[in-house]
Amino acid sequence: MNLKLPIFDVKNLNFSVGNQNILSDISFEIFSADYIAIIGPNGGGKTTLIRILLGLDKPTSGVVKIFGKKIKDFKEWEKIGYVPQRATLVDVNFPATVEDVVKMGRTSQRGLFSKESDEDRELVLDAMTKMDVYDLKDKMVGTLSGGQRQRVMIARALSSKPEILILDEPNTGVDIASQKRFYALLKELNIEEKITIVFITHDIGVIADDIARLFTINEKAIICNDPKKVMSCEDMSKLYGIDAHLLHNHKHEH
Amino acid sequence: MIEMLSYDFMQRAFLAGIIIAILASVSGTFIVLKRYSLISETLAHSALVGVAVGLVAGYNPLWVAVIISVLSAWLIEYLRANFSLYSDAVLAIMLSGSLAIAVIIVSLGGAFNNSLFSYLFGSILSVSSADVITISFFGFLCLSILLTFSKEFYFIAYDEEVAKTSGIKVKLLNFLLVSVVAVIIALSIRVVGSLLIGALMVIPTVSALQYKQGFMKTILISLVFAIVSVVAGIALSFYFSLPSGATIVISVLLIFIVSLVINKR
Repeated sequence: MNLKLPIFDVKNLNFSVGNQNILSDISFEIFSADYIAIIGPNGGGKTTLIRILLGLDKPTSGVVKIFGKKIKDFKEWEKIGYVPQRATLVDVNFPATVEDVVKMGRTSQRGLFSKESDEDRELVLDAMTKMDVYDLKDKMVGTLSGGQRQRVMIARALSSKPEILILDEPNTGVDIASQKRFYALLKELNIEEKITIVFITHDIGVIADDIARLFTINEKAIICNDPKKVMSCEDMSKLYGIDAHLLHNHKHEH
Repeated sequence: MIEMLSYDFMQRAFLAGIIIAILASVSGTFIVLKRYSLISETLAHSALVGVAVGLVAGYNPLWVAVIISVLSAWLIEYLRANFSLYSDAVLAIMLSGSLAIAVIIVSLGGAFNNSLFSYLFGSILSVSSADVITISFFGFLCLSILLTFSKEFYFIAYDEEVAKTSGIKVKLLNFLLVSVVAVIIALSIRVVGSLLIGALMVIPTVSALQYKQGFMKTILISLVFAIVSVVAGIALSFYFSLPSGATIVISVLLIFIVSLVINKR
């Protein structure tokens, strides 16, 4: 049993819209330096779960604690970095350079009247360097490729010095080569920076060897601490409700 | 130009106009980036209700316009945040509703005259010394708020949800932004007129966006465009005896067309 205070402590979480249950009786804990992938069919409740963890949606019932505090009492949101699904689909006309976007990550920690501090500048520079986007800092975000935008969005999340990074299907609109580089970066952040990583994905084959735990969400949750077990075709068939051999073949086609 | 500046009323018009150009372009940048441009038109029509009440009841129309415009902004934001209504539909409803109320008030009160015309389309002759003081006072307040929260407003405009998850009080700041915009619009109707102020808020920013620069440069370009068009518009209004709101909007439209053409790929 892990005696450390969990980052997220979720107990008997339920979420429904009208009469439809989206999430039923979900309980889990996420600890520091965890590396978790969330999989499941579309409409299974993965994004809803993340939105509840981030305080964007309120659960119908159940308790969600972040760093030991109930969401309504939690104030240190800078500890949580979030990269939404549509992060790579930026408005091409928005007047934002790469540096402008990464600086946004510092916004909530800067005082109202205070100017940018040395620490702010250092963290922004560090995040851009880590994500290999420093050379692009004066470029408009709208002109970047999907892979580059993705790294910019993660740099923004990193600039707040988070203890946990939550990413919702971060590979939407990103080519295969960039995806591999991206997962390597995530792993690096997890091992070297000790940042807890939680991400929703459909790239089951790609991530199987790397992740520490796998959450499969389809209204209910199956928490698996040995991901390779769940990777069996039989389990995937149960989860997705389709022939898993087809799913595997479909993955290989890309 | 020098002859024009020798008149007191022109000095007042230029001073008020330049303050309004600064306020409209800076606040307009956030409104445009939030894809909320129509709110400027709606609030301008709400301000007209205040003008109508002021004219009929004998109060200072500018002050009543500020109050009604802010209340209207809060109502819009409340409806948008708490009811499942489309934002643009809320704006359209409030826009026509306000205009209808304003027309009824001025009709019943018998205030359909030249004075109302100047509030609709702006007039350089109508800016009094008291107006310049009011515009300067509220203008300073509004600009201070916009600059203090500029990084928050920018983040919210870029991605409201991520801003919220990073701990920024998005709902409160959205209320604050629309309140500031409401005040700016009410202040502007002397010079630009309630039917034309929306253009001064939106067009300088949209023109600046054509140059595809970062945030600070875009605000600065927008600011320059707004000031140039207000100065040119007031001068044209003086020489051709035209409503200043119309000449200002024509000037900014020309800047927009030129920006569009020279930045065409």
